[in-house]
Amino acid sequence: MVSRAFLRPRLWWRSRALDDGLARNFVDSQRVLLSATAEMAPMLALDLEMTGLDPGRDQILAIGVVPIDGGVIQLQGAESVLVEIQGSVGQSAVIHGITDRELHNALPLADAMNWLMQKMRGRILVAHHAPLDLAFIRANMSRCLGISMPILAIDTLALERQRLLRVHEVIQEGSLRLGASRQRYGLPVYDAHNALTDALSCAELLLAQLAAIGGVRTRIDELVTLCD
Amino acid sequence: MDASEIQPLTQFLRQLVPFDSLSDASLLACVRHLSVAYYSKSMGHVPLDESHPRLYIVRSGAFEVRDEEGELVDRLGEGDFFGFPSLLSGEAISNKVAILEDGLVYQLSPDMFNSLRQESREFDRFFNRAFAKRLRHQGRFKAKELTTTNRISSLMTGSPLTIDCNHSIRQAAVMMRDARVSSLLVTDHHKLCGILTDRDLRNRVLAEGFDGALPVHQAMTRNPVTIGAGALVFEAMLAMSERNIHHLPVLDGDTPVGVISSTDILRSQGSQPLMLIGEIERQKDVASLISVSKKIPELLQSLISADARAEEIGRVLTSVTDALTRRLILLNQQILGQAPMAFCWLAFGSQGRQDQAACSDQDNGLLLAGEPDEHAAGYFEALSRAVCSGLDECGYRFCPGDIMAQNPKWRMSLERWQQVFDNWVRAPEPKALMHASIFFDMRPVFGPQSLFDALQDKVLAGTRDNDIFLAGMAGNSLTEAPPLGFFRKFVLERDGSEVKGIDLKHKGNALINDIARVYALSAGIKEVNTAKRIRALMELGVIGRKDALNLADAHEFIAHMRLANQGVQHRQGQEISNYLKPQQLSSLVRHQLRDAFKVVHDAQSGLRLKFMRSF
Repeated sequence: MVSRAFLRPRLWWRSRALDDGLARNFVDSQRVLLSATAEMAPMLALDLEMTGLDPGRDQILAIGVVPIDGGVIQLQGAESVLVEIQGSVGQSAVIHGITDRELHNALPLADAMNWLMQKMRGRILVAHHAPLDLAFIRANMSRCLGISMPILAIDTLALERQRLLRVHEVIQEGSLRLGASRQRYGLPVYDAHNALTDALSCAELLLAQLAAIGGVRTRIDELVTLCD
Repeated sequence: MDASEIQPLTQFLRQLVPFDSLSDASLLACVRHLSVAYYSKSMGHVPLDESHPRLYIVRSGAFEVRDEEGELVDRLGEGDFFGFPSLLSGEAISNKVAILEDGLVYQLSPDMFNSLRQESREFDRFFNRAFAKRLRHQGRFKAKELTTTNRISSLMTGSPLTIDCNHSIRQAAVMMRDARVSSLLVTDHHKLCGILTDRDLRNRVLAEGFDGALPVHQAMTRNPVTIGAGALVFEAMLAMSERNIHHLPVLDGDTPVGVISSTDILRSQGSQPLMLIGEIERQKDVASLISVSKKIPELLQSLISADARAEEIGRVLTSVTDALTRRLILLNQQILGQAPMAFCWLAFGSQGRQDQAACSDQDNGLLLAGEPDEHAAGYFEALSRAVCSGLDECGYRFCPGDIMAQNPKWRMSLERWQQVFDNWVRAPEPKALMHASIFFDMRPVFGPQSLFDALQDKVLAGTRDNDIFLAGMAGNSLTEAPPLGFFRKFVLERDGSEVKGIDLKHKGNALINDIARVYALSAGIKEVNTAKRIRALMELGVIGRKDALNLADAHEFIAHMRLANQGVQHRQGQEISNYLKPQQLSSLVRHQLRDAFKVVHDAQSGLRLKFMRSF
């Protein structure tokens, strides 16, 4: 992880090195948003369903996104796509419930990555356990679009860990999971493992966490981590 | 794929009235148009944006709507709405929404809201009704008196027809004919001095051959029985049936504000409690009286399920107990003969305060006009034994502390009662006071009011501004604390059956009764009903308006919870108790209950400060 003080110069240098205009644009906009407050910065909560946990070998099955504008979740922009895969979903169907049959009208991976790139533009990503989702996104973007770019994201799991560590010395197994974290804020129980529902769950969790931290006036650079 | 995939929201709205009346397509469109905000308690209030009115749907947390004056309008929890009044009326937002517990709130745009109203009549009707209800609840304390259907003011014909007492009988008759009414209020310098009814015109004017030019005051009924505007319809019915009259002028203070007639009341449907009291009054022997009393639990259940106010339920049930007591006295006097001297049957404790609930014990005594001789003592012993055991058989168990008229200790002459109270007031020993606090909530159920007044006046003269005694009473009432533990979580108690629960009576209402009693005794207030005591204290300025309203609200809320809980216990065939299990409560109700207990706690602190400073 990069120290907060170096985030800004690091992103500047990295964007200079990017050939792709869209990608450079994206990184620059992220850099600008660093000094904005959570209320002012447009954000995009995101969740992926995958065939496994290895970004090098496993594949993305579904992407769900939920925008947050002005500190309020806007369901009008909530969307999800299914992604074509090579081979079968195999045993992972047990977790996400997506079967091979449903994938018939899924988007080809490259189209899905382009779609996601559009959605991400001008927004700070939010995910629960962000490093995993972002590793998949970065691996697949590099594979399909030939872009290797750094991405800033707010990790609701990391925020929760920091908060819990301030109160407890040891964090109990499973207490950082999305459902368990939501419970601590009195948020309603949702069924897990649907990309869109999980993205919404994550967005709601972030709002609750912000309220606990100091409200939507908290600056983005105090919240983000860089996946590089 | 699109937002129709957002299952949790669709599911939530699908089971939520009135969204359940929408078609699948509009429900999905609605979900797609929602935005979601999270409000934390530290923000204080929901930021309501004047230029962007919206429908707010509470998904989690707890909120409170207050009007411009800060009066509580509504409390909201999961599935409740706010923001709709200004959407419907187009008027500026005047209410404030305080955040009691952090929560998620869904918001719907005015466009979507309006198109849903157009699509579904049920949806539209729901919010129109909610709007009307919200308007009625603005300024809750005032509104309650005016709107609850079973209050006088809801039946009364507005702006009463009045005539000055010096106008002629003929003028009065013309007025009555033109307005097609059967009664006219007669005033003397705008104060009520009599009533003129059809019956007066027949019995006094025609039968007596009065000249129509004579002034009205010669034909009217002087100083008629009146009733306050805040009284229950039921109380008006009692007053009419007891005195066999058909019209009651309704007064607000001294000003006549209306007339209520027996026809008005009949039109408002028959009343179950009144029928029960009528039945009680018709019974010719104790055995049949006992069998009639078996209907009381049923009456209580129907009052609970009708969601009557707890205060009203207490008054209705106590009226039934009073009627039973009076009937038992009269039936036994038919056997024993007339009493050798005037006496009052006194009710103490909950019957005195008019807040009886299920499974009340007896608390009563006998006040005699003079010192009884041997014969009189024998008569009153026989009478009180018969009445007390009659009450016991009617379901009012013997008092475990033996505070009953059948105990010779509590059957005394006026002079000796005055002495007993005087001793308590002069030497307030803690244990004697705890015992005696029951006696300070006293009310005559039978017998001459003047005899009772002679006792009460003396008692109040002794307690009023008596610092040592009041400090003793206050200290006594502070021995129990409301169940507010650390972190304001509930402190639970065990009742006999090993079931944890909150004792709503002893840790809630009893404490408020205690507080109101100390203040009332200090100010010499004659009222013994807790709600009326609090109101009188507020009007005299002894307790601040806000504190008084909070205390009255807390009293009503805790009493209501207790009754509702007893209703549930009854339906589930459990033993009726005062214990409430907090795990059954929703987060909102838990919050309200915690608030109510907090009010009790604060009032106790206030009591300590006011009466125990120097002791």
